[in-house]
Amino acid sequence: MKDNPRIWLWIAAAIVVINGFFPAVWILLTSFKTESELTRIPITWLPESPTLQNYVQAFTNAPILRYFLNSLIVAGGATLLCVLVSALAAYALARLRIPNKTLIFSLLVGVSMFPTVTLLLPLFEMVLALGLRNNYIALILPHAALSIPVATLVLVSFFQGIPKDLESAAMVDGCSRLGALWRIVVPLSAPGVFTASILAFVNSWDEFLLALTLMPSQAMRTLPVGIQFLQGEYSFPWPLISAALVIALVPVALVIAIFQERVVGGLTQGGVKG
Amino acid sequence: MTQPQPRIRRSFGDLSERALAFWLLVPAALLLGLVALYPVGRLLYTSLFLRRLTDETGNNPVFVGFQNFAQAFSDERFWTALWNTLLIVLVTVPGALVVGLLLALLANLPFRVKWPIRLGLLLPWALPLVFAGLIFRWFFDSQYGVVNDVIVRLGGERLLWVTTPELLFWAICFSIIWKSSSFVALILLAGLQVIPKELYESAAVDGANRWQSFWRITLPLLLPAILVAAIFRTITAFQTFDIPFAMQNGGSAFETLAMYVRTMSIENLNFGYGSALAVLMFLISFAVTLVYLRYVRGADD
Repeated sequence: MKDNPRIWLWIAAAIVVINGFFPAVWILLTSFKTESELTRIPITWLPESPTLQNYVQAFTNAPILRYFLNSLIVAGGATLLCVLVSALAAYALARLRIPNKTLIFSLLVGVSMFPTVTLLLPLFEMVLALGLRNNYIALILPHAALSIPVATLVLVSFFQGIPKDLESAAMVDGCSRLGALWRIVVPLSAPGVFTASILAFVNSWDEFLLALTLMPSQAMRTLPVGIQFLQGEYSFPWPLISAALVIALVPVALVIAIFQERVVGGLTQGGVKG
Repeated sequence: MTQPQPRIRRSFGDLSERALAFWLLVPAALLLGLVALYPVGRLLYTSLFLRRLTDETGNNPVFVGFQNFAQAFSDERFWTALWNTLLIVLVTVPGALVVGLLLALLANLPFRVKWPIRLGLLLPWALPLVFAGLIFRWFFDSQYGVVNDVIVRLGGERLLWVTTPELLFWAICFSIIWKSSSFVALILLAGLQVIPKELYESAAVDGANRWQSFWRITLPLLLPAILVAAIFRTITAFQTFDIPFAMQNGGSAFETLAMYVRTMSIENLNFGYGSALAVLMFLISFAVTLVYLRYVRGADD
């Protein structure tokens, strides 16, 4: 180890990177192989004659774009709602004198640990009673609510980092409290809002159990539900699934890659489930 | 010049501050009440009734007291699902902690370029559980999977991962550990980064080797972070649903508690009994959460 530390560094880096990437890389390689190549024994590792056929299939035969759109609408709506609501609550928790603050924080953490499956049946009942099954609202509301604890905790720690004097100064200058919130706190906490948004978005984008139960019709499936169902809809679904997975993964991977530092910061300070 | 003074006093005044705080908290409270608190109450209520959407009790539930719970305790499928879930917890929580600690220690080395490492830890976290399940289902495919290919190349026998119950269990555990260890690593990495470097330096001066400083410095100082990660992992592992569901394409040869609750409530439309199962699951999970909250509070004091 003392002889050549650089080599050990390279090996350590390779282990972490390979561990993180090998499933994604394997599915990417799979997506470029033809069905006849995929059903050959012994299997090939690199595609022999790379093809885009599976992607054409995914866009034409399977409604991947529709699933994508559904995921985007649900995750986008849930993120917007969640961050808006959480920002208000976080401001109160970070800045105002509230009795029983510890209790509120405990409640938040406690709620974030409710098993989703135990909420499933009552939510299912509610959605049936309101005739909202296969309606975006049925999924946006629970997804937004489930991310409130994380988003609030992240935002509280950001708000606490903003010097209180700035606000007081603005209020001395004649700003109302809400005015100070809007002009001082909101711009300064943009990174926090952004981090909370990414976490809420990823949570919703990944969620499966509620999406499966509350929006099951073919046209309303989100990506995880839609792609999972491809398994039963084709006798050998893997060419199609691999292409669909790549299509579903690229945007999220890009977001994560661009904003990685903020995501890591938010994850470790919000105490997120994963 | 006296003009702004009263205004400040008013907005900092006790009453308006409380009122403002109240209104700021209302939207979050409403949403959480609607989606989390009301459902739990509703669940407790429904669990006391015989209510099946498939017969007349769907519209006219019959109060049966704790009969649904008595039924659960003598339901072999419930015990099997609970046992399977505990096995998942017992295997994947320590597994993810060990792998996560290893990844965190590696990622904490002084790399000049950090982003590939960070991305290597973030990607498994951001990957939807179902996608991880699908990818590993393909990995462990009995005929065309890469795992069997490697085994055969190394001179072993092709294994029927998906159709042999014990093998399926280990394939599921492998997938869960892979998926969750990077999150553990991120938590532990944050913990490692706040350990003062001077501790290692003075240990080295005192003649401690790397192994000794790991056991004497790193591990004890990292213990709080490890505990937090362990409890988080325990709670999520207890809810395991997506990965076994995806790896079995909705089948239930290996069934966790969450899978059984969903099948009973949503597929079989047995609301009363499904609720009782969910209540039992909720109570177990709640107990773990209480332990966690008590620990976090204790750490704060």
